[in-house]
Amino acid sequence: MRKEIATFIVNGVSYEELIESNMTLLELLRNKLGFTGTKQGCAASGNCGACTVLVDGKPTLSCLTLAWTVRGRNILTIEGLAKGGILHPLQKAFINHGAIQCGYCTPGMVISSKALLDENPNPTKEEVKAALAGNLCRCTGYVKIVDAVLAAAKK
Amino acid sequence: MHQTLRPFELLEPETVEEAVQILSSYGNKAKVLAGGIDLVSRMRRWQIKPECLVSIQKIPGLDYIEGNGGGRLSIGALTTLRSVELSPIIQKDWMILYEVAHQIASIQVKTMGTVVGNLCVATPASDIVPVLFVLGAELKIVGPTSEKTIPIENFYIGVDQTILEPNQVVTEIVIPGIPAGAGGAFLKLEKTKADIAKVNVAATVTVTNGTCKEAKIALGAVAPCVIRATRAEGILKGEKLDEKTTARAAEAAADEATPITDLRSTAEYRKEMVAVLVRRAIEKASERAKA
Repeated sequence: MRKEIATFIVNGVSYEELIESNMTLLELLRNKLGFTGTKQGCAASGNCGACTVLVDGKPTLSCLTLAWTVRGRNILTIEGLAKGGILHPLQKAFINHGAIQCGYCTPGMVISSKALLDENPNPTKEEVKAALAGNLCRCTGYVKIVDAVLAAAKK
Repeated sequence: MHQTLRPFELLEPETVEEAVQILSSYGNKAKVLAGGIDLVSRMRRWQIKPECLVSIQKIPGLDYIEGNGGGRLSIGALTTLRSVELSPIIQKDWMILYEVAHQIASIQVKTMGTVVGNLCVATPASDIVPVLFVLGAELKIVGPTSEKTIPIENFYIGVDQTILEPNQVVTEIVIPGIPAGAGGAFLKLEKTKADIAKVNVAATVTVTNGTCKEAKIALGAVAPCVIRATRAEGILKGEKLDEKTTARAAEAAADEATPITDLRSTAEYRKEMVAVLVRRAIEKASERAKA
């Protein structure tokens, strides 16, 4: 099995880690680098979206990504959104709209929303729903989540 | 259950030739990694335990969509479903491909998953496969000593099974130009938007002077592989696509389907729905053929 030191850029900071070929990006983030905001939700089937991070700006399921294949790429997790202790407009909107219940899906929801707004700053309600179709919330609070994303887009 | 991946070798060849050589040396113990959606997910459930993954992600020149104004369209092995959905070429000239890519799975899955990967998974419920059947797509397959191009309809031999040898790689999808007067449609019935199909149908019809010159109908999730409804196609050929003819073809297509009952639906319901979706697909395709 391949075992090498590799460089990862997470939230703008470069990290060197000894990794093995069978490590997922999710395991690297949570267990090696301590970014526990990214969650494991479903049975690694790509259905729930709780493990979503951005790789070079694109929404990616970290539980189905081999860490080895994203070395040197720009990875953004939920921990990278707030700047200098000030929350990102999406995070503020989620709080203000009560778009969080248990919170487990929230990091993935916010990251998918960021991917949407980066690509389409003024989405329609339908476009928000389509962008979040891969993120499941089992507290079933979708209405407030969609409202929060639309409100953040107006900021 | 989701689990830690079993140990495996991970190799990243930089050419297709190198990739097939590595695959040859591992017999059937290696797997090709492209987007990884199906592969890594099955490895995490320990359903498959390859000794080696041959990533083709680093091979240059496999991520492309090339076409010119409805003429021949080529899609590379690393082209993602999302790239197909967002491609101006496809949005302009290949409506049926745009429709299928637009509705499939989630943004994350589309961003990671490749079109060729979807084909090679060989699920009978693929949304992409029926569309490529009716578009008459061909697959370019490269092995250690030879390369060949085969019609996609000859690619599948059973549930999750293709003719691909362990040391072969599908490098390209080639779709011939759309004939003048042709229209196409893709329809799907599913439990939720993100789920795979209970039944899906793709159809193309070519209409000249109000008569159907050619019809192609493909059915997904209702047989071990995606199938063509050839009897239904025969009923449409040479006829005006009126209500009666369309209804007869829809019934014939339902007859040709051999669905099973599983957690998503029953065999009986699937058969009924084949008739409904085929009727609607022919109607939609012939509307577009007129336009």
